[in-house]
Formats: sequence, C-alpha cells, structure tokens
Amino acid sequence: MANARKLDKRRKSIRNIRKITRTMELIATARFKKAMERAAAATDYTRRITEIVSDLAAAGLEVSHPLLEPRAETKNAALLVLTANRGLCGGYNGNALRLAAQRRTELVDQQQINTIVDVSGKRGISGLKFRKIPVEQTFTQFDDQPKYEQVESIANAYLEKYVAGEIDRLDVVYTRFVSVSRQEAVVETLLPLGKLAGDAKPGGEAATMYEFLPSAASILEEVVPTSFKVKLFKCFLDAAVSEQIARMVAMKNATKSASDMIKSLSLTYNRARQSQITGEIMEVIGGVEALKG
Amino acid sequence: MSKLHVSIVTPESTTFDREAEMVVVPLFDGEAGILAGHAAMIGRLAPGELRVTAGNETIRFYVDGGFVQVLNNRVSVITGRSEFPNKIDVAAAHKILDDVKINADDKFEMVELKNRTLAQARAQLRVAQKNS
Repeated sequence: MANARKLDKRRKSIRNIRKITRTMELIATARFKKAMERAAAATDYTRRITEIVSDLAAAGLEVSHPLLEPRAETKNAALLVLTANRGLCGGYNGNALRLAAQRRTELVDQQQINTIVDVSGKRGISGLKFRKIPVEQTFTQFDDQPKYEQVESIANAYLEKYVAGEIDRLDVVYTRFVSVSRQEAVVETLLPLGKLAGDAKPGGEAATMYEFLPSAASILEEVVPTSFKVKLFKCFLDAAVSEQIARMVAMKNATKSASDMIKSLSLTYNRARQSQITGEIMEVIGGVEALKG
Repeated sequence: MSKLHVSIVTPESTTFDREAEMVVVPLFDGEAGILAGHAAMIGRLAPGELRVTAGNETIRFYVDGGFVQVLNNRVSVITGRSEFPNKIDVAAAHKILDDVKINADDKFEMVELKNRTLAQARAQLRVAQKNS
C-alpha cells in the first residue's frame, strides 16, 4: 500500500492545479463574452455594408471590380494562418496548423504555386517552425480583442501586394465560430473576393430610389476594398472568440479531471491511512499478547 | 421640426447614436449638409471632419472615409474609424506623410491606395489643427 503522506501531498498539489484551471476557465469565460460583443458590433457594420451592396445591385449597377475577378493565372499565393499567442486551449492551435500545412502542400506540390506563409500568434510561429515551414511575416500583436486599425494595416499590405501582382490569391486559415458549441478550422479565400454578399438579389423590391453621390460606380470602388477589410477583420474576430471558447472548454475539462483525480486519490489515501492504523493496532495488540505470555 | 437620427458605425463599435438637427459630412467631392427630410442618398465619404449639430452644441469627429446612407431621416455613417479631433495621433500622421512615397512605376491601383493613405493622413492633420 502506498505511503499515505505521499498521497496526501499529491492530492494537495492537484487541488492547487484545480484552482488554477478553474480560474483560467473563469477568465476565458469573461474574455469570451467581451470578444463576442465586439463580434456583434462588427456584424452590425457588415450588415450595413451588405445593405449598400444590395442597394447598388438594386440600382441596376453591374458589380464588377478587379478585386472580384479571379486572375487568369495564379502564380503566387499567400496563406495567412491565425492562431493564438497562448496555449492551453485544447486542439485550437493544432487544428488550424494542421489545416494550414495541408493547404500549403496542396498549393505548393499539387498546383505548383509559389506560396508565402504569414502567421499570427506565437503558437503558430513555433508550430510552423516545428513543421519546418518557412514563414514570411509573423504577427503577435493580436490578443482577444483585435483592433480594426491593426487588421486594416495588414489588409492594406495584402491589397498592395495583390494590386502590384506580387500575390494572385490570399487564403486565410482560421477557426470559424459557428456557435458556442461548435467552432471549426476553415480555409477561406479572401482575394480574389468572388461575390459580394448582398449582390445575389438584383432588382428584388427596389423600394427606395437612392441618390448616389458622386456615382454608384464610385461607391462600388470603395465598397469592394472595404468588404475585403471587414472580411479579414471578421476572420480575426472569429479566431479570437473561438480561442476563448476553446480555452474555456479545455479548462473546464481540466478542472473536471482534477476533481475526479482528487476523488480517487482521496479514496486511496483513506484506505492507506486505514490500513496503516490497522497495522499499528495489530502491533500494539501483538505487543500486549507477548507481555502476557 | 422633425429630427434626424444620426449613427456612426465602425467595425469595432457604434461610436455615436443620437438625435440631431443637422449633420455635415465630408463627401468625396466636398462637404454636404444634411437636414431632416433629406432625400434617400448613399454617398461616398472622403477622410475629413464630420460635424453633428444637436441642440446648441456641435460635435466634431474625424472619419476615415467610408459611406453615408440617408433614409427616412436616419443618417448612418459607415466608416473604418471615427475619432474625436483631440484624440488624433498627429505624430503618426506626420510619419505617414514622410514614409509613403509614390513612385513613377507604380501601377494605377497602387497609386490610388497610396493616395488614399496620404489623404487620410492629411485630413487627420487638418482636423487636428483646426480643432486645437
């Protein structure tokens, strides 16, 4: 039977771990709520942009823009991977990295496209290093509340590269937030943009006749890059929300496992203690018997 | 007189949302004032100063381009960034003016992108100076 004191020590240390994981769970929950609020604000913005696009479409304007058209030949691509700066969040980083590596192989080996990989998050940087994938740019400034300004500067850099012909396509690997109980790592092609949301219902119920200043075409010119930036921002927000959820779930499980472990350790400890006492009583009785004899 | 409802929406938050008498927005080709009863309109904004007159106070914002949508006395300003004039980072704007240079062999779209960045920096300085 194991040493009772050793068991007790172990139980204490697991209690401490449980305290830590429980706190981390609470922190992740609080951050998740905040991140969720920001995502909601961004949704409001996106909705209005979508409205404008559908108004433009309703006005009979053909939606076309260089950023929307796929290039005739894709020679250079960029892959942006969004991961967390910190670990302890279950499969969150691993899933995104696995998908990124898979995508990169697809682009480089199967389609012979020159691919540069950019990564956000310390975990992603070390993960890609481990997989021996060369990384062009790294970002570590994004935490649970990505700033639009920061994302915008990255978006502008990509736009510049795309316009200059340095890249012909941009894929983003991130963890999409589907619902509180479901997040999945996905690859999304942001450049070329393809279709704009809201473009799908031409004519529809052209309820209001808008006056476009200076012209519908000019507004379209502005809408397209803006939608790209917002889409990228949404990716960052989704990744941030998913990270907090992943951490929340991971820590919840850790707390639960710690509780289970404490329970089973307590059982063994009590048994060990009991048998120790029994042993001692037997010794005493044995001694008394010996004296009598 | 009926009033306007003005809201300024950025991707991060709704920075302004209340009733007002008049809004002056920096349209792409000059300022435009909007009063209650304005016709439905979608306008493209240039970086510049946005003024909201509510009661007897005038609230000023710097907006980073974007759009304005007017519909049924509701004015929605949709912009990447809105800032109070005293919060503008003048040093950063100066740095952009110094750093960004347009080269002769830049492509057309590239020149446009750079021009935009420069225009934003200039507008920030202008708004900051005017309100300092």
